[in-house]
Parts: sequence; structure tokens; C-alpha cells
Amino acid sequence: MSNQTYNNQALTEYLLGSLPEVETERFDELSITNDEFAETLKAAEKDLVDAYVQGDLAGTALVQFKSYYLASPLRRERVEFAQAFQTLAEKNLAAQAAELPGSNPAGPETKGNGFGWFSAGTVLTVPRLAWQWGFAAAVLAFLFAGGWLALENVRLRHQMTQTQTRREAFGQREQELQRELESSRSNNAKTEQELARVTEERRRLEEDLRKEQDRRRVDEKQQPSRPSEGLMVSFTLAPQMRSIGQVPTVSIPAITDYVAMHLDMESNDYPAYRVGLLDPSNNQVLWRSGKIKASGNRKALSVRFRAGLLKPQTYLLQVSGVPASGRSEVIGDYPFRVVR
Amino acid sequence: MADSSAQKLDQKKDWSLTAPAFHRILKWLDEGASSDGRKYLEMRQRLVAYFDRKNCSAPDDLADETLNRVARRLDEENVTDSETPAAKYCYIVARFVFMEYLRGAQKDRLLCDDIRQQPNGNFAGSKLDNEKETQERLLSCLDHCTGKLDSLNRNMILRYYTGRERVKIENRRALASSLGISVNALSIRACRIRDKIEVCVRKCVGTK
Repeated sequence: MSNQTYNNQALTEYLLGSLPEVETERFDELSITNDEFAETLKAAEKDLVDAYVQGDLAGTALVQFKSYYLASPLRRERVEFAQAFQTLAEKNLAAQAAELPGSNPAGPETKGNGFGWFSAGTVLTVPRLAWQWGFAAAVLAFLFAGGWLALENVRLRHQMTQTQTRREAFGQREQELQRELESSRSNNAKTEQELARVTEERRRLEEDLRKEQDRRRVDEKQQPSRPSEGLMVSFTLAPQMRSIGQVPTVSIPAITDYVAMHLDMESNDYPAYRVGLLDPSNNQVLWRSGKIKASGNRKALSVRFRAGLLKPQTYLLQVSGVPASGRSEVIGDYPFRVVR
Repeated sequence: MADSSAQKLDQKKDWSLTAPAFHRILKWLDEGASSDGRKYLEMRQRLVAYFDRKNCSAPDDLADETLNRVARRLDEENVTDSETPAAKYCYIVARFVFMEYLRGAQKDRLLCDDIRQQPNGNFAGSKLDNEKETQERLLSCLDHCTGKLDSLNRNMILRYYTGRERVKIENRRALASSLGISVNALSIRACRIRDKIEVCVRKCVGTK
């Protein structure tokens, strides 16, 4: 599963219960069946909760967070945890700031004052100062000067380390930008390849379509009485829950135009239904029916779609129940394998 | 025929998870590579999150019910591997369990939508008077659990959650760069560490 099929915005909407139904169902499935998606979703949820805790959410997102996300006790617990985690991170930041040199108020200022008091000018203005006192003062001044120089040395070393660290950080940032640039170039190349592939595919499809239209025109000329719907084959499918691993196989002749499927259901609980044809390899919806009703007392649905949609592989017919009011729910899967 | 169906229904009701059935589902979820039960726990966690996102009132119970049904099916049909991937099959069963839950909830007038529509004031209103005390206990446990991490992970997680907005983003970029990984990979790594801490904190709060 590539990241292109979902982004952070969609994940956030999913977590806030505001994603459209079809996408919600797709994300529901991915959250259980796809490892990469499950991991990304967890990380996105933590970021969302952190954003709420830090007051970064606003507008609709904030309203939905409060009304939908906080409705669950389990999720409220996560918010409480995030709040505690935020407090811990802030405490840690404060502790780090306190450890930085220069933040001690009894630092250079105190030292500077002490040295100023023993300045040469002050010594010379004292009349008849005894030689011993002068010597002692000179020694003290020397000691203070030595101390100040040592401290200054430490400060300069620290400044050098900081400069070194910043230089390394800039170096790392430069490397990072370089990598991003390379990645961007690589993505551009991939996009161009994809574009070429899609263009080629479209050209091929247009060619097929043109041939098909030609063939139909020839057929219509040759068989004016032939019905426009063409050849149709029909099959009956049971719900998937009957057994594991037994996917029914349907054989579709090459000349078939339409495939009709009769889907047996366990119960008929909804006034209407919708049926979608899915490619399970990428969860793409290939075809979707309008609202249909179960036929008679059989608890079965009948749908019909173009045979051209099917290649030799496994497909899934997904049935959703449409209630009189409210959102529809997926109620059954009907996998089948196509052979030609 | 009717007797046979009734007998089957009784068997389903009476079925309980046995040690061999449990081993069978562990093996089936592993899909050929032994994970020492990690896959089972991961699947259970995903199912709990799924039911929770659907606003079901007891997501843990529904996740267990799903896994029990899968185990029962594997046991009854003597399945060791299947064409349907294990996770996909679990999802299908989970959806059925969810639909049954919805029907039950409709009957009891406890539809999940009712929970969705609860005003947010409920959350604020449900806060206990001893909230401060609870928060302090949580912080103390968090401190304890973070302290149990090795220094590399502890520093990483604290740096990851330091700062706000632009500063936080820059901080994370620098951290990812210093570790030689992408920001996305860093986010997933931080998420895993935080999950570990959360588990530890839950245990710690429960014992205090």
C-alpha cells in the first residue's frame, strides 16, 4: 500500500469520524489488514491528540474532536496520557534550560564587581598605604585576574562548542535538503514514468474502444435483428461466511457482454441495498449499483454489469444495506474468481 | 435436519476457547513465521481500536468475541492455512460482530450514534474532584516509566515531544537527521516507544 492512497488530512478526518462512508470502510479494513497503514494511523492519532492538548486545533476540527473523539472513554484516556506527557516534556525542557551555563545569577556579574573593587586607581588614591597591604592587594588582584581569565577561558570554550554544534546542525540540514532534493528528483522521474504508462494505457484503451465500436458496427450491419444488450451469462453466489478459502469460480466466455449475479443473503433486513464490484488487490471500486431491492421472498439481490470489467482474477461483490434513514452499512462480501 | 441445526447452534453457544484452539489461531495468525503471540496481540489491539472508532461501548469484549469466532471456525473446520489472508478474515468477522452489536444496540436503544451525539459537556462534567490527584499519580507513573527506558530511547522520546508548532517541526527534523532516518520513520519509532510507555503507565496507575 503506497502513501499516495491516503494522506494526513484523510487520516485526521477518519479519526474525527468525518470521512465519507466509502473511504471510512476502506480505512477500517486497512487499519486491520495493512501493517504500514496501522502504524501510520497510530502515529497520526497521537499527533492529533497532541495538537488538541497543545491548543493547536481550531474550528471544525476542534468541534469534531470534542463531540466525536472525546465520546469514547478509551480515547479520553489517551488525551489524559498526552497531557501528562506534555507536562513531562515541558519539565524536561525547563530542566535543560536551567543546566545551561550563564543562567546562574551569581556568575560573571559578581565576578566583575569583585575585580572592579580592587582596581589600580583605587589602590593609588589611598594615602600612606603600607607596603605589605599593597603586596597583599596585588596578590589578591592577581588571583582574581587569574580566576577571571580561567572563567573566560571556559566561557570561550563553551562558545566554541556551541558554534561547532550549530555548524554541524547546519551541515546536517544541508545534507537533509540535499536528500530531499534527490528524493524530489526521483519522484519527478517516477511521476513521468507513471504518466507515460498511463498515457500508453489510455492510448491502448482508446484503440480497443475504436476496434470494439468498429466490430459492433460490422455486427449491427450483419445482424440487424440482434438485441442491443448482447450475450449475458448469470451466476448465483452465496455469502463468504459459509466457509474459509473456497472462492467460487465463474467462467465467462470471451463473447459475453454482460454478467448477471444473483446474491443470496442470510436475511432481508433493509428496505434497499447497494452492490459494489471491488478489485481486492487494490480495493478499487470498479462498478457500483444504484439502490436496489431484494427480489421477492428469496432474500436475494440481482445485479448486472459489463463483462469487460472482469479480467481473470479474484473480485469481490460488496453488499451494503441502505436503511430508511441514516448511513448505509456493509453487510456482506461475495468473492469470486473469474476464468476466461 | 432441524434437529441437526439446533444441535449445531447449541454447539456454537457451548463452544469455549481451548488450549489447542488457541494455539491453532496463534499459528494461523503467524502465517508461517513464529511471532511468540505478538501477531495475536497486535491483531487484538487493532480490533479494539476498530470497535472503539465505531464508538462501541465495550471494544475489548467485541475484539475478544471476534477472535473467539475466528478460533472456533478454525477449530471446527480444522483449518491450518487459508486462501484468505488471516488479517482480512479477521476484519470480515469483525464487521459481522459489529453489525450484530448494532442490531443489539438498536434493540436496547443504545445505538452507537446516540453516544456520538452526546454533548461534549459530558466529558468536562465527568471529571472527578480528585482530578489533580489523579494527574499527579499519572505524572509520577510517567516519570517512573520513562526512567525505565534506555537512555537513547528516553532522550529521543523527550526530544521528540519538545517544543511547539514551528519549533517542534524543526526539532523533529533535526532529530531525524541526527538519527539518519526520515521524519516519517522517526514518527513511527516515537509512536512505538510511546505505546510501550502507555502500557507501563497503565500498569503502574493500576497498582498504585
